[in-house]
Amino acid sequence: MSKTSLTRRSFVKVSALAGAAAAVGASMAGCMQDAAPEEGLAGTGDAVSSTEGLTRVRTSCHGCIQMCPAIAYMKDGVVVKLEGDPEAPVSRGSLCIKGLNQLHTMYSPRRILHPLRRAGERGENKWEVISWDEAITEAATHIKEAIDQYGNYAFFASVGGGGSYSFMEAMTLPMAFGSPTVFEPGCAQCYLPRWSMSKLFYGGDDQSIADNAVQEIFKVTDNKTEVVVIWGAQPSVSETAESGRGMAELRAAGVKTVVVDPNFSPDAVKADVWLPVRPGTDTKLLLSWFRYIFENKLYDEEFTKYWTNLPFLIDPDTKLPVKAQELFPDFQQTTPENTPAYVCFDLKTNAVAPFEYSAPADATVDPEVFWAGEFNGKQYKTAGQIYKEEAEPWTLEKTAEECWLQADKIEAAIKLYVENNGGIANGVASDMTESASQVPLGCMGLDSIMGRINKPGVTMTKKASGVFGPTGEVAAPTRPLTYNNGFDGMFSDMYGVGAVIGMSDAENEARIKELGKVMPDSQKTLNKLLQDRLGMKDHKGLYAWCHSHIPTVRNAIATGEPYKPRVWFDMSGNKLAMLGNAKSWYDVFPEVDYIIGQYPHLTSFHIEACDLVFPLREWLEEPMVNMSQLDTQWLQNECVHIGETVSHSIPAAQVVEKCRELWGGHIPGGLELGEGTAYLGSPTEAAVKQGVADTLGAPDWETLQANVDEYVPHVTPDYWKYNQHEEIADDGLPAGFGTESRKVETYCQILLKLARNGYPFCYPEPQEACEDYSPICVPIEPVESPYEGMPGYDAEYPFVLTSGRVPYFHHGTMRHAPFSRELFPCAEIRINPASAKELGIEHMDWVKVTSRRGEVHARAYLTEGVHPKTVWMERFWNPECYDASQANPTGGWRECNVNVLTKNDAPFNEVYGSYTNRGFTVKIEKSTRPENIWVEAEEFEPFMPTAEMLAEAQTKDVF
Amino acid sequence: MKNTLVIDLDRCSGCDSCVAACKHENQMGLGVVRNHVSAVGPVGTFPDIEMYWLPMQCQQCENPGCIEVCPTGASYRDEETGVVLVNTEDCIGCESCLKGCPYGVRHMDPKTNTIEKCTLCYQRRNDENWEPACVHNCCCGARVFGDLDDPESAASKAVAAAGENAHYLWDPASLSPTTVYILSEKTAKWQDEPVEVTRYEKQ
Repeated sequence: MSKTSLTRRSFVKVSALAGAAAAVGASMAGCMQDAAPEEGLAGTGDAVSSTEGLTRVRTSCHGCIQMCPAIAYMKDGVVVKLEGDPEAPVSRGSLCIKGLNQLHTMYSPRRILHPLRRAGERGENKWEVISWDEAITEAATHIKEAIDQYGNYAFFASVGGGGSYSFMEAMTLPMAFGSPTVFEPGCAQCYLPRWSMSKLFYGGDDQSIADNAVQEIFKVTDNKTEVVVIWGAQPSVSETAESGRGMAELRAAGVKTVVVDPNFSPDAVKADVWLPVRPGTDTKLLLSWFRYIFENKLYDEEFTKYWTNLPFLIDPDTKLPVKAQELFPDFQQTTPENTPAYVCFDLKTNAVAPFEYSAPADATVDPEVFWAGEFNGKQYKTAGQIYKEEAEPWTLEKTAEECWLQADKIEAAIKLYVENNGGIANGVASDMTESASQVPLGCMGLDSIMGRINKPGVTMTKKASGVFGPTGEVAAPTRPLTYNNGFDGMFSDMYGVGAVIGMSDAENEARIKELGKVMPDSQKTLNKLLQDRLGMKDHKGLYAWCHSHIPTVRNAIATGEPYKPRVWFDMSGNKLAMLGNAKSWYDVFPEVDYIIGQYPHLTSFHIEACDLVFPLREWLEEPMVNMSQLDTQWLQNECVHIGETVSHSIPAAQVVEKCRELWGGHIPGGLELGEGTAYLGSPTEAAVKQGVADTLGAPDWETLQANVDEYVPHVTPDYWKYNQHEEIADDGLPAGFGTESRKVETYCQILLKLARNGYPFCYPEPQEACEDYSPICVPIEPVESPYEGMPGYDAEYPFVLTSGRVPYFHHGTMRHAPFSRELFPCAEIRINPASAKELGIEHMDWVKVTSRRGEVHARAYLTEGVHPKTVWMERFWNPECYDASQANPTGGWRECNVNVLTKNDAPFNEVYGSYTNRGFTVKIEKSTRPENIWVEAEEFEPFMPTAEMLAEAQTKDVF
Repeated sequence: MKNTLVIDLDRCSGCDSCVAACKHENQMGLGVVRNHVSAVGPVGTFPDIEMYWLPMQCQQCENPGCIEVCPTGASYRDEETGVVLVNTEDCIGCESCLKGCPYGVRHMDPKTNTIEKCTLCYQRRNDENWEPACVHNCCCGARVFGDLDDPESAASKAVAAAGENAHYLWDPASLSPTTVYILSEKTAKWQDEPVEVTRYEKQ
C-alpha cells in the first residue's frame, strides 16, 4: 500500500477528520424532525418501552429481490421505524441499509403520487397532473391507434431496473396485444442464463445465492455444508441481510469458503481462498478445475458413471448421444419410451454396449467415463472424453497465467472444494459476459461430477418449492418432467405451446395436439409470436423467460427491420442506468412514438423518454408475498398508502381493459386466455390482496390481516428433499431427473436441439436453426482482450473494467435515499495504487473512464484489492442532476453511469444473447467532478422526507 | 454495570447498516453520525492482502476522557446503566470533549449546537430486551450488547469465547475503553494503529 496514495492516520487524526466531516455536513435545514431523540417518534426516555404508542406491523422489506421479513412501526398513519424480523430463519432480525432507508424513500419529496402527463419536451422534466381516467384512456388510445395503423408488433413492453416486481406481467402484457416484444436489462444479463440452464441441465434449482435458489446451505438445523465456493457473487453486499447474514453464520460455524471474484469483496476478505480471476475468463478457470479433478480422479465415480450422461458415446456428426437402437438394431429396450437407452464403453466386457437406464446396482454395464475409439468403422468419444480433452490444456500454470492467478492458490481452492462437502454458489457476474451459458455449465458440471446433487449440504437441489412458484411436485414417484416456457412452464399448459422435457416424442406430440384442440387460437398465435420474436433465431435460450434480445430490439426501433416497435410500456426503473450502452438507447428514443412509464418516482428514463407516468406504490404500501427463506414465506404488507399510487400490476391491466373496450371487446390479434386476455396481472388492489391471501393460505385479506401471526410465515411442508432421484417411480425405475436421458446432463445435449429448432420452447412449430450451442464449458477470451495480438486488443484502453454492487443500492434503486448517498455519495472506481501512481491519480481524485462507447466520471478508490490491470466500478446514476436547485439540470445518466461504457453489440452469449457488461477495456485519466453531482452530506438535504410528504393523508385504493 | 458492545470483526462485512439503523433510530440529520465503520486496509500487496472493518462508536471507557474535560458536567455516566451520556441541556457545544476522546466518535450537531454520541440506544433501556438498533439490525450478527460485569451476559460469554482474539482500541491516555473487538488472524492481524481508508472528498 502506498503511503502517498491512501489516507493514513492514527486514531487521533481520525478524530480530527471525523470532526471535520461532521462540521461540513452539518445542515439539518428542512429535516423532518425537530424533536430531540429521547422525545422523538421512536419513543420517550422514561416510557415503559421505546415502542410504546407505536403500532407494530409485520411485513417484508423489498430493498432487494430476497425480501427479508421486517417489522414496521407506525404512529398516526406514518411509518416511523423499521427493523428486521428476528423470527426470520436466515436473516434473523437483520435489516440492511437498503431496507432501513425505505423510511426515507417512502416519504421522499421525489415520490410521484398522481398520474403525470408530459407537459414540455422530452427531457425538460415538465409535467401536469392528470386523473387516472384520463391517464388510462390516453395510454389505451395511443396503443390502439398504433396497432390499428401499424399492426400488433408496434407495441412493446419492458421491465427491470430495481424495485421491479412485474416479471410475469411484462412477459404477458405484449401477448395480450399480440406482440412478441418485451425486454428487461436483467434477464439475459441477470439470472436467466443460470436459472434456465439448471432446468436444461438437470431439471432442478440453480446455484444462485443471489436469487433465493440456494437454500440448503443456510439450513438452521442439521446443516451438512462444509464448504461453499462463491463463484462471481458477493452475498454480503448484494443480499446483505439474508444471504450475507447466512454466509456470516456459516463462516462462524467453521464452514470453509472459496471466493472467485476479481474484487476483494467482503466475502473474499473472509474467504479461506480468494481467486481474483481476470474478468471474463471464468471459463478457463473452471476448465482447470475439471482438469485437476479428472486428472487426480477426485470425482465421484459412481455418480458420474450412473447419474450423469458423461459415459454416453457421442456421435461426431450430430454431436448428440447415440441411442442404443442406432448402433444395435436388435436391441430391445425394456424401459419406457420416455427413458431412452444410450451407448457406453463397457468395462465388464471391454466393448461398446447398450447402456440402459436403471439404478446403478441394476446396471448390466460398468461404463467407462473417458473413452475414445472405433465402432462399426466410425470414431466415437464419450461425453466425458470430450470434456476431458476440452479441459486438457488448462493446467494450473497455464490457467494462472491467463487468469492472472497463482497456481498454488487455484490448487488450494480445488482441494478445499473436493475434500469438503458442499457446493458452488454463483451470482450475476457471468451473466454479464459472453460466457453467460458456459459458466453455469461449468459450475453445475463440477458439482455434478462430484455427485453433489440432491444431497444434504449442497447447492444443487430440487426442493418442494421453487424460486418463482411450485416445482418439485413432479419429482418421484413419477418420471420427472421439466416444463420450460415461462416460470416453471406455466405458459406451456396455459397457452398450449412448448414441449416437455422428459416426455417421449410421441407423448409430446399427443399433448400438443390435445392442447391445440382445446386452445387452437392461442397455440397458433403464441407459437407465431415465438417465431417472430426479435433476436430469437440466434439466442433461443431467451425463450425460457419469453424475452426478446435487447440489442435486436434497439436495432428494430432504429431501422424498422424486421418491424418497428413504436409504443412502449415500461413497467419499472431507470432504463438509462440499466441498459448496456445507454447512449445507443437514448439516441433511438425519438423513434418511439409514445412511451409509458410507471414507478414510485421519476428517474432519468422517465424524464428523458416518457410521455405518461403512472405512480406506483413503494414497498411499504404494496401487498405481496416474499421470496421465501428456507421453507418459509412471508407477507409484504400494506403498512401505509398515500396519494393515488397503485400496485405494480394494475396500470397495465386497466389499460388492457380500456383497449378491449375501445375495440369493442376483443383486441384484434391479441392472445386470449379463456374469457380474458393473456395479461397475467391483477387489475385491482382487491385482486392483489386476494392473491396474497391465497398464497399464504388465508381465506381473504381481512382474515389474513386480523390473524397475521397465524398465517405468517407460511411453511411449505416437506420442503427439504434428498436423493429423490433414487426413489423408485411408478414405472419401477429410479425417478431420476427431469431431462431427456433422465440423468444429469453434464454434457447438456438439449442445447443442441435448442439451437437447431428451438426445442423445447418453440414447439410445435419450430424456430429457424442457428450455429450449434456448446453443450459443455469451453474457454472464452473476452472480446476486448487486454492481450496484444488478440483481435479485440486496443492499446488505447489498457484496463479491464468489471463491476459489482455496493451495499447501499440494489440495481437502480436508492440513489435518492439521502442516508445511502451520504455514505456512498457518488460513483467510485477501484484502482490498484501502483497503477494509479503511474497515472498520477490519488485516492479520491475524480477520474474520467473511457471505453469504446463513451466516457463517465468517478472518484478513484485506491485499493490493493484489485489487480493492477483490473478496475472495478459500481453502476450509478444521479437524480440530483435534475433537482430544482440545479442551474443547468441534466438527466443524471451520463455523468457517472457505468452503462455509458458497457458494450451491447456482438459477440453475444450464444444461447442467451447476453452482452458484455463486465470484462471490457477502458482508459483512465485524471479529471474533475462533473457539474450537478453531489458528494457532501448536506447537499442531499433536498432528498430528505418533507413535512408535506409525512402529512400526506392515508388514502383508499384507487382501483 | 458495564454495558457495552462486543463486535465480532470476523463477521463484520462493513455494510454500514449499523450506521443507518442508528441514524434512523436516533433521528440524526445529514452529516451527523453517532457511529461509523472504518475500512482497515487492505494491507499487503495484491493479491496477498488482508483487511477488516472497524465499526466505531463511543467506547464506553472506564475512565472517560470526555467527562473529565467537560466544563459543564454535561458529559456524565448514568449511574443506573453505566452508559456515558450527554445531557443536552447542559451542553454548550464547546467541543472540549472532542479533545478528551481520542476515538473520534463524538460529533457536533450544528443544528442544536450540542454533542452527539452513541447512547447504546438509551431510550430503549426499559424495553423487555434492551438492544441498540445497530445490534438488532446488524447484517452479520456481529454485534453483541450487554453487561460485562455480568459473566452470564451474552456479551461476557462472547468475550470469554474469543480468548486472545478479543481486542481493545489503542489506549494512549489510559481511558480503558470497554468496547471489545473480536478479530482472529484468520481474517486479519489486529492493528493497534490501523490504516483507515476513507471516502471523503479531497479538500
